[in-house]
Amino acid sequence: MREITYAQAINEALRENMRRNSRIILMGEDIGRYGGIFQVTVGLLDEFGPERVIDTPISEAGFVGTCVGAAMTGLHPVAEVMFIDFTTCAMDMIVNQMAKMHYMSGGRGKVPFVLRTNIGAGRGAAAQHSQSFHSFFMHIPGLKVVTPATPYDAKGLMNTALVDENPVMFIEHKKLFITKGHVPEESYAIPFGKADIKREGTDITIVATHALVQKSLNVAEEMSREGVEIEVLDPRTISPLDREAILNSVKKTGKLITADEGCVTGGFGSEVAAIVAQEAFDYLEAPIMRVGSPDTPVPFSPPLEQFYIPDEGSIKDAASRILAYQ
Amino acid sequence: MVTEVVLPMLGITVERGKILKWLKSEGDQVEKGESIFEVEAEKVTTEVESPASGILKKILVHENIEVPVLTLVGVITSEGEEIPEKYLTIAPPKEVTPTAMVPTASAEVSQAMASETSGQIRAVPAARKAAREYGIDLSSISGSGPRGTVLKKDVENSIALLRGEGAAPKDKETRATSLARRLAEKEGILLDMVKGTGPGGRVTKMDVVKALEIRKAPTPAEAPTEMLFGKTIPMSRIRRVIARRMSQSAFTAPHISFISDVDMGRLVQVRKEILADFEGQFGVRISINDFIIKAVGLTIREYPMLNASVDGENIRINPEINVGLAVAMDEGLIVPAIPHADRLGLGDIATMRADLVERARKGKLSMEEIERGTFTISSLAQFDITFFTAILNPPQSGILTVGKLDEKLTLINGEVQARQVTRFGLSVDHRIIDGAVASAFLQTLKKKLENPSYAFLQL
Repeated sequence: MREITYAQAINEALRENMRRNSRIILMGEDIGRYGGIFQVTVGLLDEFGPERVIDTPISEAGFVGTCVGAAMTGLHPVAEVMFIDFTTCAMDMIVNQMAKMHYMSGGRGKVPFVLRTNIGAGRGAAAQHSQSFHSFFMHIPGLKVVTPATPYDAKGLMNTALVDENPVMFIEHKKLFITKGHVPEESYAIPFGKADIKREGTDITIVATHALVQKSLNVAEEMSREGVEIEVLDPRTISPLDREAILNSVKKTGKLITADEGCVTGGFGSEVAAIVAQEAFDYLEAPIMRVGSPDTPVPFSPPLEQFYIPDEGSIKDAASRILAYQ
Repeated sequence: MVTEVVLPMLGITVERGKILKWLKSEGDQVEKGESIFEVEAEKVTTEVESPASGILKKILVHENIEVPVLTLVGVITSEGEEIPEKYLTIAPPKEVTPTAMVPTASAEVSQAMASETSGQIRAVPAARKAAREYGIDLSSISGSGPRGTVLKKDVENSIALLRGEGAAPKDKETRATSLARRLAEKEGILLDMVKGTGPGGRVTKMDVVKALEIRKAPTPAEAPTEMLFGKTIPMSRIRRVIARRMSQSAFTAPHISFISDVDMGRLVQVRKEILADFEGQFGVRISINDFIIKAVGLTIREYPMLNASVDGENIRINPEINVGLAVAMDEGLIVPAIPHADRLGLGDIATMRADLVERARKGKLSMEEIERGTFTISSLAQFDITFFTAILNPPQSGILTVGKLDEKLTLINGEVQARQVTRFGLSVDHRIIDGAVASAFLQTLKKKLENPSYAFLQL
């Protein structure tokens, strides 16, 4: 099977859907002529023209709000917010408009709108362009929050997002854009709320998102040589969340690590830990460990930034804490 | 008519028991007096008879769950009778509290329960769940996790042990790398006998290779013992009972001990004289122990306090004089008792002693036979041990220790004579027995043993 990058996989899904569905339009900063800051929308202006691929002024509240209105009145917009850090400018549009309209209209109004953005530190982009607060959005009923970790998942999940009649936060990871993986040329859809067991194991469950999926797999391979079999579960969408898969895995292994790049406090891992503590308490054989970013802004200093980003070492530390209970 | 079936009181100090096997199923016809389940408590297994005839309508406590004695375990109804609603909504076994119990035992039970629920035991949730399911007291398990946390595997090991599967966990539960597993399988090595050095104590291929080397070593006999060093072994069920009872005794009853040399010459002579005829008549070789049991029984009759138990602020003087004899087994010590040792003839004592000792070694004693003792004799005469003291067997207040029979030079009226001497020790509970009483008892016993004919005066 051919290999393409994560960015190319999303681009391909956008292109195929735009060919099929003329309601789909793209909006965002530098997405047209420049092809998007991470080149996800490259070539789409040429193919679909400026009416469907619209470069906007630097006003997140403006173009996100425009998309909500466009979605309610018949289009299927896809907005790109350059960094998740900038969604805060559009928070009213996202939380109070986009997420609520379907409910507040008694189900009559629909908001078929995909908001693409990205998380992740590691590009020396400092505290305002490197955050990973995707878990904000899983706290808001009415939003689906998609977190692809591989090119294959990115394409399949985008295909699902583009047929969903209500809002989807499509949260990419900026360090994954250039990673390559097998992606079928034909169209396929990955349902929301369906976790993927990226590696089966019997000893520890790691529920990982985004870049930490691959890092967890690296640790799993390494520890397998020492006889510890780690199961790596990627929920793929953090809302809806595949609780059943998580619980089943923890019931099997009795041990849980969550690995997510957001700050640990109040983060995705905390939610998973709480679900497991509540629903699978009796199965726990060791404390739950959360791997994530420290509760500080992302440092600009490159060595500090590297120290800040959760990596294989952080996962191994968590695993060794758990293995004391083996 | 509805009859409740309860876990019977299996002895005065037995707090809990476990139904090993229901001999009847729900819906079966049962006759009064017919065995309906097998129960295991402390060290023995007993069959329990049905308290009524009818239909065993409901089993409330299933097999292998340990519950306090007097817990409601089942319900018998008349044929065609419906089971009353209240039995259908009965709480799980763990929460059933004993309704009645003798004062000492109930105090112990409530104490034990308090310690179980105090929450001071560190255990992971999965371990707590397993302990709950199998009715195991977490406080009885030593945790192998950080800061002594009880892990799931600790409970599983304990369960395996209770089921008589030995100290080691089942092979498939042993953590091992797949390479190690394959090699062990090929070479016929039991993985759970191999000490794992991998992460989390996993058995690695190297560990199996090492185990193979040990197996091939020229001194195979030493290997198993060698492998015990550095290992943590969970206590067996019997060991747990012994540990609990011995520390309970040592730390609640202040022990005082008295020592006396007894000239056994005449007793040895009497035994020699009657040995053959005795065996002809009773079919058993009379032992020195049989004489000691008899003499102790007779002496207790004169000193009732040696037959007493502390019961709160009361002293309970037990009605029967039942003399126990400690029997050593590989797994631990067990003390079956000869009932009415003061009244039984030597023939009965010897016959009964031989039978009890044999059945003790086979683990076939009834709870009654163990629990009825009111005084204990512990003899190490077969070892080269001159003298020792023992810890009281609770709730008893006296224990007699018997050293080896020794030939000794003794000065008697200025003449040196050779005597066959055994050194006896008597330990008593000083809460209720003072030195003078203990000394008088030991002295009277000595007089009986040294003068067998004098002893017969009392018969």
